[in-house]
Amino acid sequence: MRSIEARGLTKEFKVYQSRPGLKGAFRDLLNRQYRTIRAVDAIDLTIEQGEMVAYIGENGAGKSTTIKMLTGILQPTAGELKVNGFDPHREREKFVKTIGVVFGQRSQLWWDIAVQESFRLLKQVYQVPDADYKQRLDRMIEVLDIGGLLDQPVRKLSLGQRMRCELVAALIHQPKLLFLDEPTIGLDVLVKENIRRFLREINREFGTTVLLTTHDISDIEALCSRVVMLDQGKVIYDGGLQELRRNWAKGKKVHFELAREVDMSELEARTAGMPLRWERKGERQVVLHLEQPDLAVSDVLAQIVQHVHIVEMQIEEVSTEEIVRKIYQEGMTLA
Amino acid sequence: MFHLRLLVEYFKQYMKTRMSYRGDFLVQFISNFFHQGLNLVFILVVFQHTPSLKGWSQAEVIFIYGYFLIPWAIFSSFLNLWSFNDRYIIKGELDRVLTRPVHSLVQVIMETMAPESLIGVLTGGIVMGVAGWHLDLDWTWYDPLLFVVFTLGGVLIYAGIFIALTSISLYTDSKSDIQPIMFNISNYGRYPTNIYHKIIQFTLTWILPFAFVGFYPASYLLDHGEWKIYALLTPVVGAAYLAFGIFCWNRGIKHYRGAGN
Ligand SMILES: Nc1ncnc2c1ncn2[C@@H]1O[C@H](COP(=O)(O)OP(=O)(O)OP(=O)(O)O)[C@@H](O)[C@H]1O
Ligand SMILES: [Mg+2]
Repeated sequence: MRSIEARGLTKEFKVYQSRPGLKGAFRDLLNRQYRTIRAVDAIDLTIEQGEMVAYIGENGAGKSTTIKMLTGILQPTAGELKVNGFDPHREREKFVKTIGVVFGQRSQLWWDIAVQESFRLLKQVYQVPDADYKQRLDRMIEVLDIGGLLDQPVRKLSLGQRMRCELVAALIHQPKLLFLDEPTIGLDVLVKENIRRFLREINREFGTTVLLTTHDISDIEALCSRVVMLDQGKVIYDGGLQELRRNWAKGKKVHFELAREVDMSELEARTAGMPLRWERKGERQVVLHLEQPDLAVSDVLAQIVQHVHIVEMQIEEVSTEEIVRKIYQEGMTLA
Repeated sequence: MFHLRLLVEYFKQYMKTRMSYRGDFLVQFISNFFHQGLNLVFILVVFQHTPSLKGWSQAEVIFIYGYFLIPWAIFSSFLNLWSFNDRYIIKGELDRVLTRPVHSLVQVIMETMAPESLIGVLTGGIVMGVAGWHLDLDWTWYDPLLFVVFTLGGVLIYAGIFIALTSISLYTDSKSDIQPIMFNISNYGRYPTNIYHKIIQFTLTWILPFAFVGFYPASYLLDHGEWKIYALLTPVVGAAYLAFGIFCWNRGIKHYRGAGN
């Protein structure tokens, strides 16, 4: 079964505007003016069971709003939506048993009670059998290393400690589909790595579908083979991370350190006709910009290596981070 | 059955949290108790000087007041919705509630319940008992049964009205003062309605039926036959208003816009 199937999914918000002054307030009372924001604009999205998908976009692109529709919190303004075979908002109570949700910005646990009491309460809420509960919990406590936190109230935990507990809370009923809205926001490298490893594990072992939003590109590189990019409520890219890199990483950079100073014109002359550009960085440092992905570094080297003595050389791939930044800045249409 | 078990679980958690602030809990319990006791003394003093009202003796007025305290105490123990707007809408906890497989209203009720308010039942019982003892009432075997039914009906009326009012928060997160106003209106239910103007009588019966949370049932228990029909209608009115409240809530949930950014 498909995890998520959305057609033309749309969410609009009416934002009321108040006019200035007493007179304005009085007029607002009679006839309030509003503006309609299309936070999510007719998106189509199909996600198969077992996929791990990154949902990215700039601030305000509509990521959280989409997640809230997919989890049944908000009713869509328009469009068709089936998640785990349910209509999330209409069949909310039955539906939410099949999903887990973690919001990085907001706790899903009860603030005042100890972590293990929260888990126990969730066990009751989801009606998890004793044996399953014990087995799952023991395992997650070990992998996420939260054994020492169980008797602390949630409000006393650090952010990293809390996030690991949130993950356990979201998975106690072993949902088929897990939503994570900025799960690694504000976490240190070790906790991030721990959480990513854990997510990969449950995905491999139970085939759990994972949809996560993030501003941290390394999350995507570590977890997701598929990326859905959103801009102003519209999907502007939906495909593999590799394809995204291939289409957008227009070539690479090679840093050279030369034995002696060489004229730029000499380098340019020897590589004339190739889609590349030379740049001087210092007396003996030059940078080669390869401007097409299919131009191999070895071809360039073959042209110059007999005439120029190279001391050191370093190839630099364009980082996914840079690619994504570029797309946010320039839009997808330039591709 | 599932909901009942859940309620017990939540109640245990509630007790544990309360106990974990042990000092607090004791202090609060004692202060609550004194507060109620003080209330009681105050009431008795005030009624020492209350003459009879339009054919109602002093003891009868006190009896009605005592009765009135009971549904209110039960209602405020289980539907402690006063801070709903702050906690669930502005702080956004409703998002969390909506991702759990239990009806959202049931969850909110269980998370906010304040069973310590049940002490009001005791106060009400004492007031009613003292007044009733002076009155030499003629109770039959089924009157205590009716008392329970009336009380539950009253609780449902409060619940329906305040759930409907709380649902307004689901449409807008701006604060409204309507709940305290409604609380004040509810206090009209503790006096015999025949002392009020016809319009108020009508309002308290059919629009904001607070006469059913105090006066009508209490007058029946006082063996005043004139309002017997109304008294017997209490559970029906309760069911109707509860249904209305739940309807408003469910509509509101469809309009809920999510925790703000
Ligand atoms: N409850 C609401 N009422 C009005 N407008 C809203 C509401 N929720 C979201 N919006 C608007 O919808 C748009 C999308 O917001 P959303 O929170 O989905 O963005 P996001 O992609 O999650 O951003 P971020 O990366 O900052 O979390 C924004 O313009 C936001 O102001
Ligand atoms: Mg967001």
